[in-house]
Amino acid sequence: MEEPRIGVFVCHCGINIGGVVNVPEVVEYAKTLPNVPWAEGNLYTCSEAGLSSIKDAVKKNGLNRVVVASCTPRTHEPLFRSTCEEAGLNKYLFEMANIREQCSWVHSHEPEEATTKAKDIVRMAVARARWLEPQDEPEVDVTDSAMVIGGGISGLMAAASLATQGFKVHLVEKEPQLGGITRRLGKIYPTLQDSSEIVDPIIKAATSNENIQIYTSATLKDVSGYVGNFKVAFKKGTEDVKLDVGTIVLASGALNYEPPKGSFQYGVLDKVVTQLHLEEMLAQGKLAEPERVLMIQCVGSRTGEVWTYELSDMTQSFAARLLSKILGAKKEEGWPYCSKICCMNAIKNAIRIKELWPKAHVDILFSDLRTYKEYEDFYRKARAMEVKFIRYIREIPPEITEAPDKKLKVAVYDTLAGVETEFLCDLVVLSTPLCPSKEDVMLARMLKVPLGPDGFFMEAHPKLRPVDCQSDGIFIAGTACGPRDIPESIISAKAAAARASILMANKKLKTEALTADVNTDLCIGCGLCEELCPYGAHKIEGGKSKTIAALCRGCGVCGADCPRHAITMRHYSDRQILAQVEAMMAK
Amino acid sequence: MSEIQSIPSAGDTARDESASFDPRILVFTCNWCSYAGADLAGTSRLQYPANARIIRTMCSGRIDPAFVLEALRDGADGVLVTGCHPGDCHYVKGNFRAEKRFNFLKMALKQLGVEEDRVRLAWISAGEGEKFSLLVRDMTNKVRELGPNPFKAPNIKST
Amino acid sequence: MEKSALVIGAGIAGIQASLDLANRGVKTYLVEKSPSIGGRMAQLDKTFPTMDCSICILAPKMIECFRHPNIELLTYSEVKEVHGSAGDFTVKVVKKPRYVQADKCVGCGTCADHCPVELPNEFDSGMGIRKAIYLPFPQAVPRVYTVDKDHCLDCGLCKSVCNAQAVDLEQQPVELELHVGGIVVATGFDVYEPLRITSYGYGRYKNVITAMQLERLLSASGPTGGRIMRPSDGRIPRTVAFLQCVGSRDQRFGYPYCSSICCKYAVKDAVLIKEHRPDSEVYIFYIDLRVFGKGFQEFANRAKKEFGVKFVRSSPGEIREDTETKDLTLWYEDTLTRTVKSLKVDLVVLSAALMPRSDSVELARILGIDTDRFGFLVASDSLRHPVDTQVPGIVGCGYCLGPRTGDIPDSVMQAGAAAARLSEILMAGSV
Repeated sequence: MEEPRIGVFVCHCGINIGGVVNVPEVVEYAKTLPNVPWAEGNLYTCSEAGLSSIKDAVKKNGLNRVVVASCTPRTHEPLFRSTCEEAGLNKYLFEMANIREQCSWVHSHEPEEATTKAKDIVRMAVARARWLEPQDEPEVDVTDSAMVIGGGISGLMAAASLATQGFKVHLVEKEPQLGGITRRLGKIYPTLQDSSEIVDPIIKAATSNENIQIYTSATLKDVSGYVGNFKVAFKKGTEDVKLDVGTIVLASGALNYEPPKGSFQYGVLDKVVTQLHLEEMLAQGKLAEPERVLMIQCVGSRTGEVWTYELSDMTQSFAARLLSKILGAKKEEGWPYCSKICCMNAIKNAIRIKELWPKAHVDILFSDLRTYKEYEDFYRKARAMEVKFIRYIREIPPEITEAPDKKLKVAVYDTLAGVETEFLCDLVVLSTPLCPSKEDVMLARMLKVPLGPDGFFMEAHPKLRPVDCQSDGIFIAGTACGPRDIPESIISAKAAAARASILMANKKLKTEALTADVNTDLCIGCGLCEELCPYGAHKIEGGKSKTIAALCRGCGVCGADCPRHAITMRHYSDRQILAQVEAMMAK
Repeated sequence: MSEIQSIPSAGDTARDESASFDPRILVFTCNWCSYAGADLAGTSRLQYPANARIIRTMCSGRIDPAFVLEALRDGADGVLVTGCHPGDCHYVKGNFRAEKRFNFLKMALKQLGVEEDRVRLAWISAGEGEKFSLLVRDMTNKVRELGPNPFKAPNIKST
Repeated sequence: MEKSALVIGAGIAGIQASLDLANRGVKTYLVEKSPSIGGRMAQLDKTFPTMDCSICILAPKMIECFRHPNIELLTYSEVKEVHGSAGDFTVKVVKKPRYVQADKCVGCGTCADHCPVELPNEFDSGMGIRKAIYLPFPQAVPRVYTVDKDHCLDCGLCKSVCNAQAVDLEQQPVELELHVGGIVVATGFDVYEPLRITSYGYGRYKNVITAMQLERLLSASGPTGGRIMRPSDGRIPRTVAFLQCVGSRDQRFGYPYCSSICCKYAVKDAVLIKEHRPDSEVYIFYIDLRVFGKGFQEFANRAKKEFGVKFVRSSPGEIREDTETKDLTLWYEDTLTRTVKSLKVDLVVLSAALMPRSDSVELARILGIDTDRFGFLVASDSLRHPVDTQVPGIVGCGYCLGPRTGDIPDSVMQAGAAAARLSEILMAGSV
């Protein structure tokens, strides 16, 4: 390594630093440090004058490292790094010492102590700077084609968006036909359009786009590689297809949950069906005019929900009944989350029944009615059409028994009226959630993306990266991520396409420069790094750890844990950090 | 892991007048949370004792217990390791790893006779400027009571 | 075809749309009316259901916008005129004078320390104070002070103490003419002020506040440093009641729609209050508890089980104030037990409706796009083209399009969809 020649630039920042810290004293002190042939003070180092001064000093004094003692690196580090590059230095040969936010501004009544601290901070920064090394910013090529897994409306919309932007898309669908679960719906809320009005144009847009290659009846077999460079293999019929793609959009959808046999008499009495069955019955004209249809919400969802009750407020008999139900309750089958769309879906089907047969009674038994946003109008419309909404509590679920004349008797405690009620109905419809498919586990393993606690695919960050997977280059669209309605699925599909297009449009991807570097001579292949890395950046191959630089984010967990100290973290090496530690107490 | 127990009023003077020595506290911070929290203390002009010296890494998961031991060997009177709150780690779970290592370290330090309050772990988010300042104040006061670091190697000059 | 875009509004939706477009290679002008980017998300303490510190996850995105070579930030600026069509819009933007030169100001705050004028801070929803020369919040981007000329005394003190000579009280507005290929509208929402719901006493009783005001009290960098000090006496409340659907789902006051996120944020705020003061009693009065979507039902369960938040299905009829203690009494009917009860609380938080911004209709007029009867933008087809407006080349994202799912991931996804739509138009001419 060349001998370090470090320039130190101490900023006054007007009076922000200079008004507390004795800057000239710190400059003089810096000059006494080994390897510091140049130190100066600036009024505002970040100004044009300050930056020019840095460049001049580097040239005139043959400096090969720069330390700026000023504000927090979180504001101007990129600016100063660029300045170093302009002066001919690698940008990672630059170090900042925070003597404003972490010194002058927090010790403004103790100028002596602040000045001592500023000297210490500069000494530590110089100590680190001695050990800094130039770093490369590696680039990987990005194949500019994408694979979309799933040919429902989300997959199709994502494919169409990418194809319109000029990217080649390979869409893989395991069923023989496209359209996913939306195809099985009769009508769509809240417009009550036919689902074909939504699905058909979306299918046409995808099938007619020459940039999209569609493979139906195809099953995914293997995915390997990393962002920009995925190798995928799938089987279509008897044919094996292998492709290289740059990005993947996962749009594998969700299933409609079928309650276990016996739950609300499902599978026992054939007049108990799910909402999806009802859709199909209505679409195929298989439902004769009913006298009464009763719908039950939240069947198989919101399981394990907790409620608290003030028993003292209730009548003794009711309290006793409630207690016995709670204590005697079996573990509910199903899913803990709320599936978001079932309330609207039930109301939609209720309205359809009322439109077909205005005299029919339709009752919806609900726990919380979740008609959010402007769907509130849809709820009002149903009430205006005399759909009845009855609130039950989940601890006292409705009971269904057979009744004469092929009817069903439903007994439920109506909490709003405060009475036990019984209905004689022709059909009981269970509103069940959208749930993940068991195949998702296999898909997750193949793509190396995690499933969330609810069984759906997990986003990289639930708030700020809702369509990114934790593994770079893979994006999620539609209900694969959780229950969603149609506009939300379409929005997520387009957002996933936007994210994928960014990678492919730039053709090259600059990956993190400050990554882990494994010394294979020291590595014993213990596999701890592979186990610990949240990004899958380490793989044990041939008894040694191999780093996929494109996936490494530079967190340093492997570097700290490697039992043989075989891993060096670029720019945050043990040597660099220990130099700072040692320098703290040195004089 | 030790957290601050009480919240002293912000009007306290920065230095205890009866102090016999001025402790040096080394604070490890992570780029995304605790370093930003320390910065926020600055932008908010919260005053705290000038006894801390901060080292920044990208993640608290980078902190090798050897760094803490080296700091004590070199004469640091206290060491504070800080990072993102559990669940908030920018690198998913680096802070969990830091905590795990730290717990082992504490067991080893206890056997060596290092006092409980000399080496601490705390979670500071980027929005917790006040918490950072109070933490440094609390740590400084506690370490001052413990006295200078008796473990530093003999050839290191004391402050 | 101009391969550039204008994004109006720099909350999380506008920020995300700008980043997605800029990363795609589209030169993006991000126009924001207020002095700093960040929007509503910057005002929040924590975000549900993950309880991330809101500004902590937002600030890196704000800085990314600021530094991005393809994004030009035009803060304290407004769109005045728009002409043209997809691929070729001409937009007149006015940069309002801050009376501080952005290239000289280092954001040190000496000016504000000396300014003699104190005003309620809009960012703190009126719960805190700012000066006439101010930074709206500590993490503001850009970190440049602004003079509120309407309340400035012209004393010149700020100018005299500024070491960087950044104050220029003669500064003039600057008119810019931008040529862009597409426009994204991301202007967000305002919070309904429930003054007309007189039975709740908002505006009369000091300890009846909106949820946004509570967020500012909870926020570590807010006016009380994160201590929930109730307005009348600064005491930390022991009993808190949240009232849901204040001005939402209402056909008399406010709006008939559901604002989509209030049940969720009430649960979050209730948990935060319990964390601040574990011995407190927190009640949420609701009609339907709308904690739908990923992780929310589970979050509500935790609130009940782990934190002991109490949920009462009821819409309280009246709130009365004890004129001495300023404590409040709620009168309500518990619909489960059908008993009428009263509850004495220290603080009432109203989950007020979220409504379109007051200037949304005017902006829509300038753009030539439709708004609904409330002032939200109308999508050209709410099912199939949920981010397109009636004008090709103009798309929307975020709460300005209406409540939708309403939360942050929803806004971020809509922003991505908006960016995708514009990319389709700008890169491939597909309108």
